[in-house]
Amino acid sequence: MNASRLPMMARDRWLLRACIGLPLAALVLFFGLPMLSIAWRSLQQDSGGIGLGNYLALLDAPGVWHAAFNSTWLGLVTTALTVLLGFVLAYGLERTQMAGKRFVAVGMALPMLAPSLVLGLGLIFLLGRNGLVGKLLGVRMDVYGFWGLLLADILYALPQAVLIIRAALRHGDVRQYDAAEVLGATPWRQFVDITLPNARYGLLSAAFVVFTITITDFGNAVVIGGNFPVLATEIYNQVSGQMRFGMGAVVGILLLAPAAVSIWIEHVATRRQARMSGESAQPPHPQHHLARDLGFAVACGAIALGIYAVVLTVVAGSFVRLWPYKFEFTLKHFNITLSDGYAPLWNSVYVSLMAALFGTLMLFMLAFAVRKFPGRLAQLASLLSALPVGVPGLVLGLAYVFTFNSASMPWGALYGTAALLALCNYYHYHTQGYVAMMTGMRNVPTNLEDATSVLGGGTARILRDVYWPAIQTTLLSVGVFLFMRSMVTLSAIIFLITPAVSLSAVSVMRLDEAGFTSQAAAFSTCIMALVGTLTLVLHVLTAGTRTARH
Amino acid sequence: MSLKIEALHKHFAGVAALDNIELQVGASEFVCLLGPSGCGKTTLLRIIAGLLAADSGRIVLGEQDLATRPARERGFGIVFQSYSLFPHMTVAQNVGYGLTIRRTPAAEAQQRITQLLQTVKLAGFEQRYPAQLSGGQQQRVAIARALAVNPALLLLDEPLSALDARVRADLRLELREVQRQLGIPTLMVTHDQEEAMSMADRIVCMNQGRIEQVGSPQDLYLRPRTRFVANFMGHSNLMSREQVQAHWPQLLAHAPTGFDPASLALCVRPERLRLKADSGAAGRVGQIIFLGSIQRIAVHWMGQQLLAETSSATPFAPGDAVQVDVAPQDCAWVAA
Repeated sequence: MNASRLPMMARDRWLLRACIGLPLAALVLFFGLPMLSIAWRSLQQDSGGIGLGNYLALLDAPGVWHAAFNSTWLGLVTTALTVLLGFVLAYGLERTQMAGKRFVAVGMALPMLAPSLVLGLGLIFLLGRNGLVGKLLGVRMDVYGFWGLLLADILYALPQAVLIIRAALRHGDVRQYDAAEVLGATPWRQFVDITLPNARYGLLSAAFVVFTITITDFGNAVVIGGNFPVLATEIYNQVSGQMRFGMGAVVGILLLAPAAVSIWIEHVATRRQARMSGESAQPPHPQHHLARDLGFAVACGAIALGIYAVVLTVVAGSFVRLWPYKFEFTLKHFNITLSDGYAPLWNSVYVSLMAALFGTLMLFMLAFAVRKFPGRLAQLASLLSALPVGVPGLVLGLAYVFTFNSASMPWGALYGTAALLALCNYYHYHTQGYVAMMTGMRNVPTNLEDATSVLGGGTARILRDVYWPAIQTTLLSVGVFLFMRSMVTLSAIIFLITPAVSLSAVSVMRLDEAGFTSQAAAFSTCIMALVGTLTLVLHVLTAGTRTARH
Repeated sequence: MSLKIEALHKHFAGVAALDNIELQVGASEFVCLLGPSGCGKTTLLRIIAGLLAADSGRIVLGEQDLATRPARERGFGIVFQSYSLFPHMTVAQNVGYGLTIRRTPAAEAQQRITQLLQTVKLAGFEQRYPAQLSGGQQQRVAIARALAVNPALLLLDEPLSALDARVRADLRLELREVQRQLGIPTLMVTHDQEEAMSMADRIVCMNQGRIEQVGSPQDLYLRPRTRFVANFMGHSNLMSREQVQAHWPQLLAHAPTGFDPASLALCVRPERLRLKADSGAAGRVGQIIFLGSIQRIAVHWMGQQLLAETSSATPFAPGDAVQVDVAPQDCAWVAA
């Protein structure tokens, strides 16, 4: 459509231009530019000059190769187990009448409330050298290294895998099953011939997502990785420890590869899925089936129990004098001994609020403009918006360092500010926010929008009377999503924090590194309490608006 | 005020959606844009509303060129197929929406809302919300909202298509009645030829972005000028010129001149085809479909299948031999 030819009032036209121009410019500056910077930096050789020197040096860096091998191996095992468990959980939740669905669903939400390293922390409390299990069994356990990392990564990735697979299972059509039933297919045959093929793209997509978050997760690798070096810690050492920026940039670029594949798979998957499920598909409603429901209740319950155990152990550990020896109640661990105390927690809240407000505004403007005028600029915006999800936090953080830690450029002034942390956190999750916003936009009735125009309403009126009622829930959930992610993310901001402005997830890491494990737990408890409360409030709020509208 | 459209063109990705559209809507006329989906009728309506830009051409309302006038300044009313009411506003607020924008004094707006709700038979529904109304009632509200602002032109985009058959039939009559009372020039898009014929003063039959024929419902039904119109406006029997020459040579006298004879065809509506039982005749009755007051009969005749409609009272049975005939005034020649 050629938007420029449509007669419009001057102020409507300017408003629309601002809606596409501002978010697009910000996206280019705070995502495009950093990605170009890291690519450029990977070509700048330490000896001076431009070339593939850093890439060639990689051939001669056994440490990196060792870490890459470890990461790949860990990623593969984690992926296989997580997808298997994730399928069991998703199937139990979507396709059975098992008891305790709410218990399982809440368990799946728990890891999202906390920085990833909290899971590592919980595992150490349970299975570590001074862990509860070792004490009860009277053996000295060692969870550090591959096994601990594997467990922590599975727990961390499981909720995301379940989310994706559940969505895929929701796409089924009950009539396929009815047809198979009438043709005489056994339940097992129906599962193999209908359920699995329909879910295969979901499974594939989940596998790549899990693999990517496993090989790029930083928190658990630091806390429980022990002497098992992985790429995420290696890249951190190369850059923060040895100041080998070129090498860091190269590893960062290489880490984009699996993520790029996963995005591509997901892209294909959604297209196929859309083609497979007709608009009139009726999702299957599981019937009661005692043996199946019981089996899934036990299996899913056990997995969920594992997550509860790990997360709640952290909470419990923060309230007892000496885990696991003296179980007296105490608040002494909440007296944080780090020099900046709880300041990082409030920094996190401040930064997350900024990320949420700015991000929601930008995403709304962008989605609005793309919907109103699907021209070339809109296509560019959509394309750019799909990319950030493929950039691991670690790589984005590194890219921010290369871009903004430079006194010679005007944007260098942002380095070390809370604003830059907020921007990094927002653009890290820009894609998910954009997708949610575009989905929400589908609820905005086009006919009503056109009718309002014809009746004489301008853009401001249309936004207030047509968009706001239809999209307020989406705005709220996008905002809260950005806030929550920003509260708990570590890998993206680990390169960006300065002594002046630190964040809560970093405090947990520092406390753990310094050996104050119980204080790390206490700090984590505070984060979880904050984020958890907010989630509950949102839940109540959105439930309220949903009932109010009908 | 009348609406005049001149040489309008619109392309989507290289495909002509509207090709040289010329059209007028008179001061209080009800005009239907009729055609299959994808023929460009909705595109034309949206361009007239100002919701879409044309590539070239002129739209003139009264004396004024609308080229630079935004949709919100044209002062039209529009009704869509569905989902076009504000879900969070009451019926009264919905109807009064355009008046609020125009800053009409409250008392005057109130009066107008009451009066319009009476017109669309929804008096007493002021405080309801759209979700509490049936589909037909929602469309009445949408119509009242469009009329509230005294539109210079009323645009209807398949306003009845989402409704049940009975409600649709009722609302057709009511909508036409209201339009006649208020004398507002109206342009309605529909793909339903029955709807167009029962409502329109004039029908604009469109196909693939072009206007095939413009005329009264009777014109289009009885005197279609193209094969497309003949087929789209109800059932028709089309016979080539050679077939007519072979079997009904007397009808050739009425064939129009100035066309390529090969392109000409004779169009006979099923109810104009005369069947007479005659054991020696060449026609054979095939399938008979009972439709209540009439029956539709397939007739095999001279190597082709014809469709006839007769009163159900006439006794025919499959296999009967029938004589097939048509009067010159009951058929039309179509070109292209």
